[in-house]
Amino acid sequence: MAVSREEAEQALQSITSTERRSATLRGYRGAAPHLILWGLLWAVGYGLTELMPARGNAIWTVIVIVGIAAGTLMTFRQADRSAAWRLLAVTATLIAFCAGVLTIMAPVGGRQAAAFIPLVIAASYVIAGIWFGLRYVAAGIAVALLTLGGFFLLPGYFYGWMAMVGGGALLLVGFWLTRD
Amino acid sequence: MSKADDIIHQPVRLKIMAALNALRAGEAIEFTRLRAVVAATDGNLGAHITTLEQAGYVTVNKDFNGRKPRTRIAMTRGGRRAFTQHVAYLRDILDGEAMKDS
Repeated sequence: MAVSREEAEQALQSITSTERRSATLRGYRGAAPHLILWGLLWAVGYGLTELMPARGNAIWTVIVIVGIAAGTLMTFRQADRSAAWRLLAVTATLIAFCAGVLTIMAPVGGRQAAAFIPLVIAASYVIAGIWFGLRYVAAGIAVALLTLGGFFLLPGYFYGWMAMVGGGALLLVGFWLTRD
Repeated sequence: MSKADDIIHQPVRLKIMAALNALRAGEAIEFTRLRAVVAATDGNLGAHITTLEQAGYVTVNKDFNGRKPRTRIAMTRGGRRAFTQHVAYLRDILDGEAMKDS
């Protein structure tokens, strides 16, 4: 079989684009359960905070511990140990960053903290999406807009808004990532 | 210089092998997801997978995920080796031509 230079070039381009698309969809499949998990946790966490705002710190301590434990376990079960450790490192970095900023900016209200952290998460989705797939960018923009919308337009119902719309957005994006 | 692989070089089969090559060794991909990556019809994709399976480049595993039938395709070690050699052959063509041009 004789292959011309043009054919070889086209074949290599096809290989590169197909490998990239395959890797992106593989990443979406891996990320989907995490978004669904955090969508559920946001719904529960913000829902409980709406009902018991004075217990926000305790509620979110439990939510974060459950989320990290479940997320790490899921990644280990996907048989990807190095990814599990990297995910833990990313989570620890985000928590440390948020804690540092909130300490520097203190005193901040519960509502401000509850809006700031989703904005940091939204920004991290957008940054990840610029490298690994546009669906993460869409997720980040949606979470950021919904958070800002709730914070400024519905200050009296912010936690409830984040439970339904913020958690719901993560759930929807999670299910979207499972679709090819 | 590496040799061309007639089985792999067909455009749809080339995409199938590239999609599988992006996975980790031994990892399988579901038929529906492979169809989305390759952008082929069910019949066309199925026929090309059969050709690759007969060549020993992929394995096909059919089972049930709950009540839904599921077909998963994985690249064999031989398939990965053949794909790597074919890619090297394609690069050799470009390198050879580039040397002639300069």
